[in-house]
Amino acid sequence: MATTITKTKTLIGKAIRRREDPRLITGTATYVEDIKMPGMHYAVVVRSPHAAARIRSIDTSKAASRPGVVAVFTGRDVSNVGPVPCGASLPGLRVPHHTILATDRVYYAGHPVAVVVATDRYIAADAADDVEIDWEVLKAVADPVKALEPGAPAVHPEWPDNKAFDFHQEHGDVEKAFAEADVIVKQRILSQRLIPTPMETRGVVAEWRAADRALNLYSSTQIPHLLRSMVAQMLGLEENRLRVVAPEVGGGFGCKLNVYAEEALMGFVAMKINKPVKWIETRRENYLATIHGRGHVDDYELAATRDGIITGIKLRIIQDLGAYHQLLTPAIPTLSVLMMPGLYRTQNICADIVGVFTNCVPTDAYRGAGRPEATHGIERMVDILAAELKMDPAEIRLKNFVQPSEFPFPTATGLIYDSGDYAAPLRKALDIVDYQNLRREQAEARKQGRLMGIGMSTYGEICAFGPSPATPAGGWESATVKIEPSGKVTVLTGASPHGQGEETTFAQIAADELGVDIDDVLVVHGDTALVQYGIGTFGSRATAVGGTAVYFALQDLKAKIKKFGALLLNSDDVTLANGQCIDNKTGASKSVQEIAAASYRAMQLPPNTEPGMVSTHFWEPPNFTFPFGAHLVVTEIDRDTGAVKVLRYVAVDDCGNILNPLIVTGQVHGGVAQGIGQALYEQAVYDENGQLITGELMDYAVPKAHMMPWIESDHTVTPTPVNPLGVKGVGEAGTIGCSPAVVNSVVDALSPLGVRHIDMPMTPEKIWKLIRSAQ
Amino acid sequence: MKISGSQRLPFPPEQSYALMQDPAVLARAIPGCQSLERTGENEYRMKMKMALAAFSGAFEGQVRISEQQPPSSFRLEVEGSGKIGFVKGGGVLKLEPSEAETMVHYDGDVQVGGTIAAVGQRLIEGAAKSMIQRFFEKLAAS
Repeated sequence: MATTITKTKTLIGKAIRRREDPRLITGTATYVEDIKMPGMHYAVVVRSPHAAARIRSIDTSKAASRPGVVAVFTGRDVSNVGPVPCGASLPGLRVPHHTILATDRVYYAGHPVAVVVATDRYIAADAADDVEIDWEVLKAVADPVKALEPGAPAVHPEWPDNKAFDFHQEHGDVEKAFAEADVIVKQRILSQRLIPTPMETRGVVAEWRAADRALNLYSSTQIPHLLRSMVAQMLGLEENRLRVVAPEVGGGFGCKLNVYAEEALMGFVAMKINKPVKWIETRRENYLATIHGRGHVDDYELAATRDGIITGIKLRIIQDLGAYHQLLTPAIPTLSVLMMPGLYRTQNICADIVGVFTNCVPTDAYRGAGRPEATHGIERMVDILAAELKMDPAEIRLKNFVQPSEFPFPTATGLIYDSGDYAAPLRKALDIVDYQNLRREQAEARKQGRLMGIGMSTYGEICAFGPSPATPAGGWESATVKIEPSGKVTVLTGASPHGQGEETTFAQIAADELGVDIDDVLVVHGDTALVQYGIGTFGSRATAVGGTAVYFALQDLKAKIKKFGALLLNSDDVTLANGQCIDNKTGASKSVQEIAAASYRAMQLPPNTEPGMVSTHFWEPPNFTFPFGAHLVVTEIDRDTGAVKVLRYVAVDDCGNILNPLIVTGQVHGGVAQGIGQALYEQAVYDENGQLITGELMDYAVPKAHMMPWIESDHTVTPTPVNPLGVKGVGEAGTIGCSPAVVNSVVDALSPLGVRHIDMPMTPEKIWKLIRSAQ
Repeated sequence: MKISGSQRLPFPPEQSYALMQDPAVLARAIPGCQSLERTGENEYRMKMKMALAAFSGAFEGQVRISEQQPPSSFRLEVEGSGKIGFVKGGGVLKLEPSEAETMVHYDGDVQVGGTIAAVGQRLIEGAAKSMIQRFFEKLAAS
């Protein structure tokens, strides 16, 4: 008798609460700062107060003589440690030699110059003040546009033009498109420097076990394995002697997708003093010395026909790189070029990037990394074009979208968009706000003199980084799934998370595939001694690439379970469903747990099958994924104060299949918060001498909870064919879709006053001045 | 950062000018000044304590006086550094007779760096104004 049991998915798609949260919200999680070791010492980094200066001499004697200080190291002492690595390569890229401590010269305020190690962190901090440095202050340049002017101070004397690289990409016939265009619109658009501001700053604990010749490095990082490979190289230590642990990581947003001087420096210190050492970054250090994001000056030109068809795009990016290349610094603006056509069909593009050195901390990946800049640019330009042609901004977008029948769609920038129905989220957003009615309401408001705006963005984005040929250190991800002899399931992932909830979503995948209870599944990550190699969490890749690796490891394991099950049931026709291996003829069954136990006892083995129940899979994605969506924002501006009030925020995102709607919504909310931060509040400001004058949370305006609107989050679902889970990624989408929608809304509100463009952040002062100058 | 303004001293310009060149008077009048030592012709070494928002710290630096045109104008340059950062500034002070008194017009540039720039930039202008105000009040009382 044949028994038919259909596989029932029970967890995928459900709003399972994050299993990480109890320890996070009860303050019992272990961050780097929570690690305590016997004999632990504390390090404080001495940093340059100048943006550009020569070091005439450093006198550490007073610091070294303070009771409790065990060592003071300067650039000379660490000359054998390799440079801070840049993983990006571009033709002709100039790469400054980036030592972990400055030797004869400093290049930005915050540049590490020395490290003081003491038995107590307060002694170390006091002794750091005792380090006497004789400076010869030099002229600095902090503005990338000024840095390109002839006669500007040279950040690196060997390259007086301050250029790190020039990059050019084009496709189609741009000149023809512009020559034949009915209308051309131009605009300079800024994406200001931003400070990522994770709740947890960076921190490192290094423990040298001299007897074992082993270095344990605990760091708040997004990439434990890559960090291990690179720090081992910097320290000249065999890679298998270095273990990197990323304990709980309190946010990263890209700024911990890096290898920092302090990570190698603490390894060096621990090996020198033969004692564990801890360094915890202060918030002010975090602002001065951890990478910033964005820093674009973009000149856009759009060519179009009279009826609103975009026929060509020209873009020139001036990228503020800062003083050095961190891990991916020069690669970030190339991602902007990849996304410059947005969701639109035009095949004629021309892009130039000039990468500029400034006496500022380096820029690098920050939530969205290149794509928010591109989306902000194209979505602003489409609105400017619509205004020029007196077209509705929704209508002009609908006219230019890549159509559902055109996928896979090759873009002008060399990407293959995987799947999409770009009009669907826009139409949904328009329906949610009852767009026609809302426009009537706006017309009424305008009659009363109120400044009400409606703005939208239809964004596309690159996720699931990525195919290895497009990713400097490999773009695959790894997973191991083990069923222990007791039947408990352990999932090891290389995609070390820093707040994305993988312990929940990956457990959902495993529990559903194996038909076991989710409480029987443990997800382990962030320890190079436990997890096979991995790439990490960034570029909205964790679920789409790391989750897919878990899925494939589970498929291998399921095949093995069936082999053992068939043997135990003495059957040649079995089905695996709901945690049971069932003989399709007799209906007899063995549970996954029983089978796992038998696989370890190994009294009998199926042909060509090893004992145990462990499977590892390294998954290489064949393409990126391309999520999309529409954000629609209604604002009203206070004429007297210039304050922007967001009346409605509608986010319709299509990230493919949704494994856990609670986590997806959380990612959208967080992303939108950072997008609103950029649109309305945040800006890293250096003065003309290269001093960061937004050096703490009093001056750098991270939005608070009360500054957030209610976010109406909705979705359309277009699965990707790129991976079997059909998931695209959602970690950065909220940020990418947000800022242009907010700016478009405010520009729309002010358009009766003749305002055509506003650069971010749209502070009340800026808006108030615009209103005043219009009156 | 530009700093400019005017203050009144209840003395004729000659006397006002002389006061502002007298190290003993200046040491008393400069807010937070702990010592002012002559190191050369119109050059002084100064130690002072400065407080800004939650920060306070000792500064050590130089004061230089130049372009002297008694009793109508001189140039003042100050440079100092300490654990909480550095300050560098310079400007011209112009003395103008106003009945029997003197109007002092000052116009200069101030640069700050280090922690005080990162955390105190928005307070510096106010702090500088209040220090200048106190300086002239003390001069007036001397």
